[in-house]
Amino acid sequence: MEKNSRQRRKRPLAVTIVAWTILVMFFVRLYQVFEPLVLEGVFEHGMTEPLFEGGWLTSFGFALLTSAVYAVLSLTGIIVLIGFLRMKKWSWVVLMVWTGISLTITLFDYFYSETNYIIMASDTIVALALNQADVQRIFGIRTDPGERLD
Amino acid sequence: MNALTERPTLPASSSDFDLLRRFEPVLRFTKGEQFYPMDVETYVRESSLWSHSPGGRDDLLVRQGDLDLGKLVEPRNAAFGTVHYLRFIEPLSLSEAARALTDQARLRSKLKNYFHAGLGRLARGGILPRLVDALFSASFLLRGRVPAASAAAAELAYFRIRRRTDSYTYYGRVTRQNGWVVLQYWFFYCYNSWRSGFNGVNDHESDWEVASVYLYEENGQLIPEWLAYASHDFKGDDLRRRWDDEDEIDFVDGHPVVYVGAGSHASYFRKGEYMAEVNLNLPDWIRRALNAWNKLWTETLGQQAVDPFRIPFVDYARGDGLSIGSGGTESWTPIQITESTPWVSQYRGLWGLFARDPISGENAPAGPMYNRDSSPRGTWYDPLGFAGLDKVPPPPEALTLLEKNCKEITVRQEKLKTLIPEKAGQLQSLGMKLKGMEGNPHLAKQYASLKKQKDSLVGEVRSLRLEHFENTALLQGLTGRLVRMKQGIQDDPRAHIDHLAVPVKTARMRFHHATQTWAAISQSVLLFGIVALMVLTPKYLIAGLLILTILIVAVESILRGAFVQTVGSITVFLAMVSALILLIHFWYWILIGVLLVTAFFLMAQRLREIE
Repeated sequence: MEKNSRQRRKRPLAVTIVAWTILVMFFVRLYQVFEPLVLEGVFEHGMTEPLFEGGWLTSFGFALLTSAVYAVLSLTGIIVLIGFLRMKKWSWVVLMVWTGISLTITLFDYFYSETNYIIMASDTIVALALNQADVQRIFGIRTDPGERLD
Repeated sequence: MNALTERPTLPASSSDFDLLRRFEPVLRFTKGEQFYPMDVETYVRESSLWSHSPGGRDDLLVRQGDLDLGKLVEPRNAAFGTVHYLRFIEPLSLSEAARALTDQARLRSKLKNYFHAGLGRLARGGILPRLVDALFSASFLLRGRVPAASAAAAELAYFRIRRRTDSYTYYGRVTRQNGWVVLQYWFFYCYNSWRSGFNGVNDHESDWEVASVYLYEENGQLIPEWLAYASHDFKGDDLRRRWDDEDEIDFVDGHPVVYVGAGSHASYFRKGEYMAEVNLNLPDWIRRALNAWNKLWTETLGQQAVDPFRIPFVDYARGDGLSIGSGGTESWTPIQITESTPWVSQYRGLWGLFARDPISGENAPAGPMYNRDSSPRGTWYDPLGFAGLDKVPPPPEALTLLEKNCKEITVRQEKLKTLIPEKAGQLQSLGMKLKGMEGNPHLAKQYASLKKQKDSLVGEVRSLRLEHFENTALLQGLTGRLVRMKQGIQDDPRAHIDHLAVPVKTARMRFHHATQTWAAISQSVLLFGIVALMVLTPKYLIAGLLILTILIVAVESILRGAFVQTVGSITVFLAMVSALILLIHFWYWILIGVLLVTAFFLMAQRLREIE
């Protein structure tokens, strides 16, 4: 009953912005899944090289690992997106944690090497969008204005 | 039968002593308490008298064993700024201190008088207040403090006194002000062991506490109306409860119950555990910056306010220990005092060790009549103002006063009813005269003079009309109250209270023991982590600190059941830092973006107007 009424409510603009950001990031990650495989010629020649050599990853093995990591990330992204569009509380929490970690890495990069300002900007927008009172209310994070979050 | 008729009363002709006895409170202590109200005579006999000169020298005036109340009040010449003080526990050598601590442990074991903190204060506050608390504790290294073994020695000395004379004393005072009869019950303790015994704010030798009962006279009877207990952080109206407020006050045979804070001896109306926060005195600019940040953080970003400079302490007033007074395990020895009691009025010094603590928390208090600086104590000379009662008349007089107010306003309204038309008529007449003078240049002087009169009269008529209007509203309010009072309808008993002392609930903690343990070790974990970063990865110290802090805060939030809230707050904080970096690096492009958006918005608005 409560779920239905929550789903019937109009989706705030901030939710749409965040959902689009996740979708764009999904395609970026998807591209990153295939890029190393294409560069290593996996689709043309198949898996012809060894993955390990002397206990260490070869460049081919590293490319496959990178591809696998991005595959997991893109799969996670799409699961979060589905949860987010269905306005599940857990998706808000996962996304907030994710954004927090990403911002930490971005800031770490900013102070110690070179940072990606696009990711920094998109994370900032996502964090502030998720922090909107109406977004928190629709995800059941905040139940009433001014009430303690829990 | 209403609450008013159930109140105990005494004839107005009763002696002061009888009044004190009839309304004397019951004191309920927390299990583990070591000090109870005692008589000052015994205490003084066990103490020495000292003076601390402005130059910093301490001189022994009367040694322990030679002192009594007579010698205490002997006149003594001293330079300005001299502090006289008693010393209950003489300075201890290292071996004496060790023996005192061992004997204290033995005594507690023998008496089985243990205190269990339950959920400790460290677990009740966040990690930031805990860090500031560590600094607060460290400040004792610089500030004067009561030596650690003093509490143990005082506990042993007091135990010996109790074995000799097992009596519990209060000092009662009766005073009459503005129609009220005020009964003050002063309790003297030889030691305040809040810090050493119960993880509180301070320790000091001797402690004076007070509870007051306010009576009024009606039909030859004295009836109790208000109670006020001295308590931390509260003053004026907040200290006072109405006698018929049964949810707030417990009674035993018509005697009010005071729940005494363990070690601190602060008084509470309800049993429980109270959070007493110490607000550190910060420079104004830091406080202003913190307020500005909190405004952005709470109002703009919707997060919870942060004030790391409020350190939480718990005052345990459980009432599960010794009970003194009616229905209790022990009975009172009452002693009446007045302004002319020599030790009350003539000894202006401290009743225990002057620890030279600049913020006074560890210095002993002065007596009932004086503050630590020898100035008169408000509780003594203004007992009504102490409880915010100086503006409240006794109930029988309240009705008379209200009727008098209504009558005065009604008379004034009648007068205004004739005065306003009279003045308004004069104003109209002046207006006609002025009209008649217009167009006659030779009347310019008279015109100017009359115009001045007219302007003044305009103001007068306007203010009279405003007064009449305001009086009508005021009279409505007062008449409504008068009707309610005549019908016997009383105000809400807590209508006067701004801040109600409420015991804290501890049920929120999900992982009780883990939270306690974490609260105890988290600061050390942080320090170990910092050391590890400094040794192992000095290059990445700042980043490591950031990650370490986030990890510690995350663990804290999980234990406190506030993970979602904390994750949100951390991420928003990081987003604010990122936004600032982006603003610094791309302000030019951001400005262009803002200008473009504004241009499009204005264009859309204007085009819509054309349509």
